[in-house]
Amino acid sequence: MDRQQEYVLRTIEERDVRFVRLWFTDVVGSLKSVALAPAEVEGAFEEGLGFDGSAVEGLARVFESDMLAQPDPTTFEILPWRGETEQTSRMFCDILTPDGEPSAADPRHVLKRSLAKAADMGFTCYTHPEIEFYLLKSAEPGPDGVPVPVDQAGYFDHVPGGVAQDFRRTAVTMLEKVGISVEFSHHEGGPGQNEIDLRYADALQTADNIMTFRTVIREVAIQQGSYATFMPKPFTDHPGSGMHTHFSLFEGDTNAFHEAGAEYQLSKTARQFIAGILRHAPEFTAVTNQFVNSYKRLWGGGEAPSYLSWGHNNRSALVRVPLYKPGKWQSARVEYRGIDSAANPYLAYAVLLGAGLKGIEEGYELGPAAHEDIAALSAGERRALGHDPLPSSLHDAVRQMEESELMPEILGEQVFEYFLRNKRAEWQDYRLQVTPFELRRYLGVL
Amino acid sequence: MSSITRTLIGNGFSDLEKSARFLAAGELEGLDRDALFAGLALANDPDMALQSLVWLIGAAPEVAQRLPRAGAAVDRRNDDDDGASPNEALFRLLGASQALAEFLVRNPGHLDVLDTPISAEPAAVTGAALRTSLLRAVGADPASDLPVAALTGTEAYTALRTQYRRHLTDLAIRDLCAASPLDVMPQVGAELADLAAAALDAALAVARAEAADTHGADAVARVRVGIVGMGKSGARELNYISDVDVMYLVDGGADEAEAITIGTALAAGISRAVNSPGREPALWEVDANLRPEGKDGPLVRTLDSYLAYYRRWAHSWEFQALLKARAMAGDLTLGAAFEESVAPLIWTSSERDGFVESVQAMRLRVTEHIPAAEAGRQLKLGKGGLRDVEFTVQLLQLVHAKADESLRPRATTAAITALMRAGYIGRTDAHALDESYRYLRVLEHRIQLRHLRRTHLMPVAEEELRSLACAVVGPLRLKRPGADALLEHWHRVKRRVRDLHENIFYRPILAQAAHLSADDVQLTPDAVQARLAALGYRDAVGATRHIQALIGGVSRRAALQRQLLPVLLDWLAQGVDPDAGLLGFRRVSEALGTSHWYLGMLRDHQAAAERLCHVLSSSRFITDLLEVSPEATAWLGNDKELVPLTFEAQWQEIQSKMSRHPDPADAIRLIRLIRRRETLRIAVANSSGLLDVDKVAAALSDADQAAILGALLVAEADVYGDSPPKTRVLVVAMGRQGGRENGYDSDADVLYVHRALPGADADEAQQQARAIVAKLSALLTQPLKPAIQAERVLVLDAALRPEGQQGPLVRSLEAYREYYARWSLPWETQALLRARPMAGADDLAADFMALVDAIRYPAGFGEADGREIRRIKARVESERLPRGADPARHVKLGRGGLSDVEWLVQLIQLQHAHEVPGLRSTSTIAALHAARDAGLVAFDDAEQLEDAWRLASRVRNANVIWTGRTSDTLPSSRADLEAVARWCGYEPGAASRFEEDYLGVTRRARAVFERVFYG
Repeated sequence: MDRQQEYVLRTIEERDVRFVRLWFTDVVGSLKSVALAPAEVEGAFEEGLGFDGSAVEGLARVFESDMLAQPDPTTFEILPWRGETEQTSRMFCDILTPDGEPSAADPRHVLKRSLAKAADMGFTCYTHPEIEFYLLKSAEPGPDGVPVPVDQAGYFDHVPGGVAQDFRRTAVTMLEKVGISVEFSHHEGGPGQNEIDLRYADALQTADNIMTFRTVIREVAIQQGSYATFMPKPFTDHPGSGMHTHFSLFEGDTNAFHEAGAEYQLSKTARQFIAGILRHAPEFTAVTNQFVNSYKRLWGGGEAPSYLSWGHNNRSALVRVPLYKPGKWQSARVEYRGIDSAANPYLAYAVLLGAGLKGIEEGYELGPAAHEDIAALSAGERRALGHDPLPSSLHDAVRQMEESELMPEILGEQVFEYFLRNKRAEWQDYRLQVTPFELRRYLGVL
Repeated sequence: MSSITRTLIGNGFSDLEKSARFLAAGELEGLDRDALFAGLALANDPDMALQSLVWLIGAAPEVAQRLPRAGAAVDRRNDDDDGASPNEALFRLLGASQALAEFLVRNPGHLDVLDTPISAEPAAVTGAALRTSLLRAVGADPASDLPVAALTGTEAYTALRTQYRRHLTDLAIRDLCAASPLDVMPQVGAELADLAAAALDAALAVARAEAADTHGADAVARVRVGIVGMGKSGARELNYISDVDVMYLVDGGADEAEAITIGTALAAGISRAVNSPGREPALWEVDANLRPEGKDGPLVRTLDSYLAYYRRWAHSWEFQALLKARAMAGDLTLGAAFEESVAPLIWTSSERDGFVESVQAMRLRVTEHIPAAEAGRQLKLGKGGLRDVEFTVQLLQLVHAKADESLRPRATTAAITALMRAGYIGRTDAHALDESYRYLRVLEHRIQLRHLRRTHLMPVAEEELRSLACAVVGPLRLKRPGADALLEHWHRVKRRVRDLHENIFYRPILAQAAHLSADDVQLTPDAVQARLAALGYRDAVGATRHIQALIGGVSRRAALQRQLLPVLLDWLAQGVDPDAGLLGFRRVSEALGTSHWYLGMLRDHQAAAERLCHVLSSSRFITDLLEVSPEATAWLGNDKELVPLTFEAQWQEIQSKMSRHPDPADAIRLIRLIRRRETLRIAVANSSGLLDVDKVAAALSDADQAAILGALLVAEADVYGDSPPKTRVLVVAMGRQGGRENGYDSDADVLYVHRALPGADADEAQQQARAIVAKLSALLTQPLKPAIQAERVLVLDAALRPEGQQGPLVRSLEAYREYYARWSLPWETQALLRARPMAGADDLAADFMALVDAIRYPAGFGEADGREIRRIKARVESERLPRGADPARHVKLGRGGLSDVEWLVQLIQLQHAHEVPGLRSTSTIAALHAARDAGLVAFDDAEQLEDAWRLASRVRNANVIWTGRTSDTLPSSRADLEAVARWCGYEPGAASRFEEDYLGVTRRARAVFERVFYG
């Protein structure tokens, strides 16, 4: 028993914690939870908690469904929204096979493996996400079939006495209580749309934080009588919810992306990392944008980046190299703007990091930066400049992922296979639908 | 002249001509010759001592003053109390180290070091004294908490290094003059570590002075630096020259970032002071690569940062490295805090996941990476080397020291003593191990001392070996030992170390298991269990029971097994399932009873016994067969016995058996026994790495063919009886048997053809043929009395015949001709691609194949036919896969599995074999190659398909060999996967990689298949 485990057990005792929730994530990114009585925690540390994995998406094959959930004591937190009496806490789990090996199908393990690869190359990876979401009056759409937002404000608007402002204050307090530092929060472009930026942390911790974040936001919304959604594009006419993420690689305490005097202070490593992301983006888009709805955001105009490009402070580029204050070389980083808020953060970060590392390993060359608004260029201009489009639909993305050799390497053959199967099925279901659009457009005239 | 030669030889010189020349040198003029020879005789290498002396006098004439002048009457024997010559130190040093002689030549000011008092049992210089001396040399105050040097730069480096080498010389002299080099070895290693620590302290003082320029003296003074020794430095058993392994800890109070920056600068400064090129050469490399994240990790960390890493990220082996961690230099309180914090992590590492694997990795480190050229000369690596001793000791510490704190000394010699005192190693073994270790270390010390070069190789030159032989014996030698004696002794020690490992580890387990009290070691049952578990035995209680059974009693076998079992247990532990291996060994041993060749094999054929252990612990299939035919164990010792018998040889044997046993029941029994025997032979040869997957397939196919041919003759004879035969039957192989691609679990797919003999009635002939075929099948599958145990029954499967299950089992040649002319479905045509006559009349075979060739290699294979084949394949894919099976893991019907590759090849054969003769083969791979060469399949595609097909075939075989059962799926339990991976040629511990490889290879093959087959 290590000290961290002892700490957890002591806290459970001292704070009178009544329930310990073990959290893990399935392959499509849904949070799963098992509640334990405090007395069972010690056993779970030592031997893991057995459960039937066959019921969980992508976790196990039917004929070998026994799995173990092993709690990671460093992720122990008290859940503040459950109130002060009869406290509830949570820990993230690693999923193990019955013989104690990491399960190849555990998304957390997939990310850990990518991070281990980075570590083998001498890098630590830090990430910092900007998460957008909509606050709605309820989960049910309004009378016209469109969701009803809580307000009609816009970007950075201050709404006096607004639901959203109260909401953000409570949410940020709650996040800080579970140990998630918030950098920034504000009203976003769409009505009822908010953005909360988390402080940078190592990639695994960030992914854990994002899972917690989604839960906290939903809980707080419910407490306040509204509903929060991370759906990539709930409104046809308003911007979608992205999860722009900033990446940086450190070698020891040196920022490997920084090189004084180079163009945009970008080191060769950073350029290769970006080149890796751009080259492999079409292959991994099915992961970073995993739902049918995701492509409505990607191709819905606005700020969503839909073409392979990078630029310095260019808000239409897929990869952006942000400005930072002179001397603050520690903050050198690159921002990937393609991910949406509904991605499975473990897998999304694993593929992005893996693609970037591939670029470094193979020494990819990075093309010139884009300076103009890429969406405003003509198709011919874009082709001439080499700004190929991202996949245009989930179907297209799945097809491109199937061709990839890098994705199975990063995700592992089993997750790769399962993920594709799951997404093909989703596309199949979607294709069968007769949509309101069709009814509106055709019913009266045909 | 001849008298000089005699004197030289008498005094141990080797290079007479050169030494005679040096003796005539001007520098030696006026010295007393007898005294000089008496002195040189003390040197391990008189030639080298003489040359060095001449150089030394040339550089520092005052050295000559120390030596007796010619004519001066000196009573050389009695002028010293203990009888030593006054210049003993000088001559012993010059005869052992050219590098230190050069140091004196460079620095004659330090000649007074030759006045070091020498003794048979020298006293150690304390670490504190060394630290004081080296700090003073760079002008730092030893009493200060944070000593800062007065000197910096080259001046400081030279002062530090010169003082270090002075102490090194002093230590070398005491070491060389000690009566027993083996006795003082641990003390010398400890003092060398202390000296290195003192040098690091002085270097840190210099680095502080230098860093003050850039970071400011106050800032530098705020940062505390602890240096933790690792490896041999940590264990205080350092070599004369080696890298000094360290880790740096910093503590800067509030400002951690500053502490890291300055700490890193100080660490770099230390390295510079010790190891940068300079007038006084560099000392050694300060190696911090054992730190977290290795050379990519930050050079310095805070204590918390180390602990965070060890708790969260560290690999199992890193805890083993921490076994030696010791606060060595710099801030010792900081280092002590580190030691204290990591101790619990080290001693609980045996409970960690992956401990057994990391032990196995440790074991591999003993024998890894020895360049062939060095194999015979290595002192450190290899079986019986220094690392082998260290592995044994550390493993015992890791297993037992959790419960027993007295077992935690870092130094190897001290750990051996502790393990002996606590009763974990027998007294005799402990002494042997300790002495062997000291002996090897002294060899290493003396070799390194000569040129102060890092080497672990025995010298080659005769004269160096001779001087080494003297050096190891020490000053009390009566005569000079020769090089042969040295090598012989060394080999003896290596052999002893090799045996000691198994003895020390397993002998006490045996003693406990059998309640023997022969030795003084008494392990508790818990300790036995811990040991067995550390080596991979899961059921320690069961293992103990088997051991009891194997060594109990007074039989010769038990006595022999008592001797051998330690080694056997170790070999079994290297397999996938040691428990099953041990059980299997017990069964085989009991079955073989007292047959003398078995005992002889165990005793005299190491390789055979090792193979046996390997097979038993990784194959249920072979174990089962060996148990019922234990005499086959004899093959293990003889590769000639493991060459599969050719078909002809088997056929000859069967014929002779049949002629002697006309009774069908007897005959078929012998035929089936031969097949069982050959299957075992193939499996054992396969397991010994003598057969690849293709040869295994061909050999299995031959064995089946011989059995079927034999059975056919028996069946015919039985059915014909005394009446004249009416027809002749031909058995045609189909499917995998047709392509000679059998696995251990393959049924034989067949077609039966007959042709009535001239004059016979067609109906009667048909009836007789049916009787023969039924008899044939029954003969091969029917249970016999007494039963043939562990036989994998050969099932004849005629499902591929025209009309499948609905069609008649056997048809006449004419009926086939008629049938094919009228009907012939595409799948029947496809099945015929693999038809190969196997048993029966040759003329009938020729006629049948001529008929078949026209059908299976059609001139016009239409688009519609191709579409039909594709459609059937698609339907098979969705229907034939067993319910619940994962298509990705099914080797036969799964994606990219055997059937995908075979269907693709067969489609190409149907389409093109008519014009491409190379495609007319029953072998999948041969046809695939032909298709590739004809440009019908792209080169890369063919390669992907071949890889997948071979891997799937291997997995299928491995499944049978490992479990003894047929299975067409890639296993999912880790243990099964590990076993199958090893049978597929992966190294231990590669189960996950193997699984990924399999899924990847088949995924790619499937992509090729979909593109090429479905189009």
